[in-house]
Amino acid sequence: MTPTHFSFTTAFILGLMGLAFHRTHLLSALLCLEGMMLSLYIALSLWTLQLETTCYSTAPMLLLAFSACEASAGLALLVATARTHGTDHLKNLNLLQC
Amino acid sequence: MNPYVIMILISSLGLGTTLTFASSHWLLAWMGLEINTLAILPLMAQQHHPRAVEATTKYFLTQATAAAMILFASTTNAWIMGQWDINQMSHPITTTLVMTALALKIGLAPMHFWLPEVLQGLELTTGLILSTWQKLAPFALIIQIAPNVNHSLLMTLGLLSTFIGGWGGLNQTQLRKIMAYSSIAHLGWMIIVLQTMPTLTLLALITYIFMTTSTFLMLKLNQTTKITTLSSAWTKTPLAATLLSLTLLSLGGLPPLTGFMPKWLILQELTKQHLPLTATIIAISALLSLYFYLRLCYAMTLTISPSTNNSSAPWRLKNTQSTLLLATSTVLATSLLPLTPTTLAMLL
Amino acid sequence: MTYLMSLFLIGLIVGMVAVASNPAPYFAALGLVVSAGVGCGILAGHGGSFLSLILFLIYLGGMLVVFAYSAALAAEPYPEAWGGWSVIVYMLVYMTGVVVAGACMWGGWYEGFWVMESFKEFMVVRGDTSGAAFMYSFGGGMLVISAWVLLLTLFVVLELTRGLSRGTLRAV
Repeated sequence: MTPTHFSFTTAFILGLMGLAFHRTHLLSALLCLEGMMLSLYIALSLWTLQLETTCYSTAPMLLLAFSACEASAGLALLVATARTHGTDHLKNLNLLQC
Repeated sequence: MNPYVIMILISSLGLGTTLTFASSHWLLAWMGLEINTLAILPLMAQQHHPRAVEATTKYFLTQATAAAMILFASTTNAWIMGQWDINQMSHPITTTLVMTALALKIGLAPMHFWLPEVLQGLELTTGLILSTWQKLAPFALIIQIAPNVNHSLLMTLGLLSTFIGGWGGLNQTQLRKIMAYSSIAHLGWMIIVLQTMPTLTLLALITYIFMTTSTFLMLKLNQTTKITTLSSAWTKTPLAATLLSLTLLSLGGLPPLTGFMPKWLILQELTKQHLPLTATIIAISALLSLYFYLRLCYAMTLTISPSTNNSSAPWRLKNTQSTLLLATSTVLATSLLPLTPTTLAMLL
Repeated sequence: MTYLMSLFLIGLIVGMVAVASNPAPYFAALGLVVSAGVGCGILAGHGGSFLSLILFLIYLGGMLVVFAYSAALAAEPYPEAWGGWSVIVYMLVYMTGVVVAGACMWGGWYEGFWVMESFKEFMVVRGDTSGAAFMYSFGGGMLVISAWVLLLTLFVVLELTRGLSRGTLRAV
């Protein structure tokens, strides 16, 4: 395991833990998702750079396009949640609990 | 919603699942899953009431997390093994991670908490899409990576799912939540037999899709989402109420109906593989599920006259829904058991 | 160069800890900016100047402006920074976890290469720059799919944020 491998793995796991364990704002959850996507972008680009495979260096760009789509859908949901629930606190999303 | 927008969204749902089906590369499979998730979001939040938006938000968060985990695992696999192919993923850490992420995506037991809440916030047609079509793409990936996944992980996921699906549904009065727990239990049955006989998983998935389609469409026909309104369904459409109770018993897996076929074959396969304890445990856990299906049947058909009825009779309006798909899926969901040898010959 | 790259890698992890330790969204966005900037440095150090530029322009330039805007919309009156009690506890726990994990891996670490030699192959264009050209020439299907997804996202966003008159009472 190289130090680069270790650091982006750690970055991804940190983002995942932050998303999973404690969020007060929906926006913070979206930021954690973006952090996970950022570490994936770095991982994919470093993989192509290390192996010098030209055809794979399109993969990080496609990933970035998709993560932009995901982020904008998340922000649209943030707006919709702020409209219906009045706030973006995740603890207010409790209408459907068993 | 504008019909053009609906057309774009529905075709993107098809595109996403087709991409995941057709891909042998993890990146393309991930893209298909993302397209699927993005395309169903506006369909879920169609009504814009708070519960729909909340369900959409929860669905988006879980699905985005699961997709990111899938891509992370495949990238790690590429770093370690240098492989991007789906069916060549062989490193134990990455296969475990991918299986966990896919279990989160379809709602298997320790990762199932989002499913009842999300399904409760949707209307019945979108709930039908969510519990049938959206499961296909993750299942295509699961079946491809299954030979390399840790055996005890799959067994744990399957057994936990059947039990939690049974237990969770016991205390519910909301039909969509009951359907969500029934989905969890059925997915558990599919996961149990995944490594020994993947064709049985496929068979169980197909029959589950028929039965769920029939049930959701029948609930939509009666416009019921609670047990109390279900108990007066016989005044509106008596024949459909009878057929709905038969479909529910088929979901529970009683013998002359379709739902018995996958359970029977899965139990037979497990005993063939010298796993009698597992077979016994999941057979017992099916009883838990059967209890709430039976309670629904009781509320629906066994409380009609001559016994006194507690619920007030609703207003009867003329029904204008198209029932072609409902008729087909109900026939398939109730009377497919005699075709078991043919089906097996087709699948094997 | 090795020291600089180690600093960048540590900066990536620290930035993600700052995002994950649940501060107010203002500060989480700041942590994400730090991570993204440091990530640009890592990619540039490995010789991927074009990918680094894309990350800088699209990620920092586009996405984080939007996030800053939404953070300003959805903010609380007293935002909680990293000095806050719960946040600092989470940060300490996460940093300890990272250090322990790093210590467990310490024996197994081997020195990867930090900087690509520029003269490994005498190429006219670098690998990552020609990757973009590759996407336009041979990767047509992927390009079409990405364009379709971007169009789809436009519709998704428009449909999700509709309903001005619907919903409950709100201030905006």
